[in-house]
Amino acid sequence: MHPLLMGRLRQALYFAGWIGIGALLAAVLGALTPRPIGQTVLFIAPLALFYAFACLSAWWVCRANPLATTSPERLLAVIAGASVQAAAMWVALGALWAIALQEVAHVGPDRIGILRDVGVLGIAGVVLYAQSMAGHYFLLSIEAARTAERRILQSQVAAREAELRALRAQLNPHFLFNSLNSISALAGGEPEAARRMCQLLGDFLRTSLSLGARESVSFGEELSLAERYLAIEQVRFGPRLAFEKHVDPEAEHCAVPPLLIQPLIENAVKHGVADRVEGGTVRVEAHVRQGVLEISIENPRDPAAPPRRGHGLGLANVKQRLNTLDPETTRVDVLRENDSFRVRLTLPAIGNGEATAVRAAAIERNQDDHGR
Amino acid sequence: MAAEPRAIRTVIVDDEAPARALLRQYLGAEPGLEVVGECTNGFEALKQIGDLSPDLVLLDVQMPKLDGFEVLELLEKPPAVVFVTAYDEYALKAFEVHAVDYVLKPIGRERLAEAIRHVRERLAAPKAEAPRAASLATAARAPGRFIERVLVKDGVNVHVIPVERLDWIEAQDDYVSIHAEGKSHLKPQPIAEIAEGLDPARFVRIHRSYVLNVERLARLELYAKDSRMAILKDGKQLPVSRAGYARLKEMM
Repeated sequence: MHPLLMGRLRQALYFAGWIGIGALLAAVLGALTPRPIGQTVLFIAPLALFYAFACLSAWWVCRANPLATTSPERLLAVIAGASVQAAAMWVALGALWAIALQEVAHVGPDRIGILRDVGVLGIAGVVLYAQSMAGHYFLLSIEAARTAERRILQSQVAAREAELRALRAQLNPHFLFNSLNSISALAGGEPEAARRMCQLLGDFLRTSLSLGARESVSFGEELSLAERYLAIEQVRFGPRLAFEKHVDPEAEHCAVPPLLIQPLIENAVKHGVADRVEGGTVRVEAHVRQGVLEISIENPRDPAAPPRRGHGLGLANVKQRLNTLDPETTRVDVLRENDSFRVRLTLPAIGNGEATAVRAAAIERNQDDHGR
Repeated sequence: MAAEPRAIRTVIVDDEAPARALLRQYLGAEPGLEVVGECTNGFEALKQIGDLSPDLVLLDVQMPKLDGFEVLELLEKPPAVVFVTAYDEYALKAFEVHAVDYVLKPIGRERLAEAIRHVRERLAAPKAEAPRAASLATAARAPGRFIERVLVKDGVNVHVIPVERLDWIEAQDDYVSIHAEGKSHLKPQPIAEIAEGLDPARFVRIHRSYVLNVERLARLELYAKDSRMAILKDGKQLPVSRAGYARLKEMM
């Protein structure tokens, strides 16, 4: 359905505009070939009505040749061609109508006058149709802008939802239960240690809540959250849990989605330490190379351990989050060796300030891809 | 004068030192209860429980090597068991394997005392016929979930066989002979029971006495009317009964 025909108001405005155009044409014709005003109106009114409808066809012509994908030369050719065609039709119809009026009703100007009339119709026809096309292109681009805006909004909502889901899944109650149990144990004989643990736990929870509420955080902040987490787990596991990090200072300033590595750290502790008698070392590395941030989290694994329930859930979560961020510039690699397990995250190395703008651009690009 | 009742000899199994310390602390206040051992993983638990024959085991569920349920499955004469864990989702399973109680972390002093009271009642009651541990472990499987590994005790050693390494299983009286990677292991368990725990999409009871990992099947050969042989990829031949053939066909 044509957008100008949708709604009474639009129709009324459009045809009111054409009454004005008709009046203008009548004035021009009357000036060039003087005659009674009634005759001019009788001649021009049906023609103007016809052309009002004819100009609406420009909408389909415009849609068939979108501004974004049509070259300027072709655009000019299309506009000129369509306008001349429409005007030619109008001229032919105008000539027939003038002759009919002359022959049947014996009104209207002589041959020279008719020629002058259709000449005016020809020129006006080209100009009006070209105007109509310009107007339609304008309408279409407004419409496109609105759709794009709505799409960006929708995808932002989707991204937000995915993050919320991720955060909810990450809140691991068993970690809390076990930590409280450790505190309870320490309270008996080592009250100082119990207090320290309370403080660590409080810090960890507060930081994870405040990081989780933000759109993007620096990798350094993520890392310090992970270190708090590991300090708490170290109380539970004692010397079985060791932690090593090799992180470029540059990497610490890069922006990452909040709580991105937390589930991976938890997995590393579970499979690399808790499930092994001798425990193990959780190793975090992060480097920036050629504008790309590479984070890897490694833990040893027990080759005889069966795939346990819940395994891969945290990993799937991380994959999904990076994918919402930007599927083209991010990736997740899993390197499973006989006795070690490593997850490598790759994402663009962006300073924390620019992250939001870049993310919006990525979402827009995604939408274009999907829309095509 | 009545003799002093024998103390409840208790073993604590938990891989976290603070958790063991807490249990020890709380149990110290229990009269007539003696902590005789502490273990940090499933293998150790199996050995100590075998050596010490305690009356009670406080058992964590998630541990390295063997989890709490697997330890229980491998014990020939399981003592009274109280599970102590941060996970509430195993509670149903715990009572199916006749655990006396199921205590959640963080542990409350009152709650643990209540569990010990239940243990005293259980130990005082005339011994009910204890169900076999293996059948308990099978019963304890969550519905829709299949065993991921088979445990076989061989003297002091425990073989942990992931199910994907199983080739076929043969019934031998009250035992099953489990064939995996060219070796066979004997386990005291009826074949019906082990078959029930295995994923029917991967394992088929091809005969009254045989369960086959279908990935090992090379082809079927007709010997006589209603009598077929399954030829495995390594050349081994196993008989296929009429019902077994129907099950195989249905699965394919």
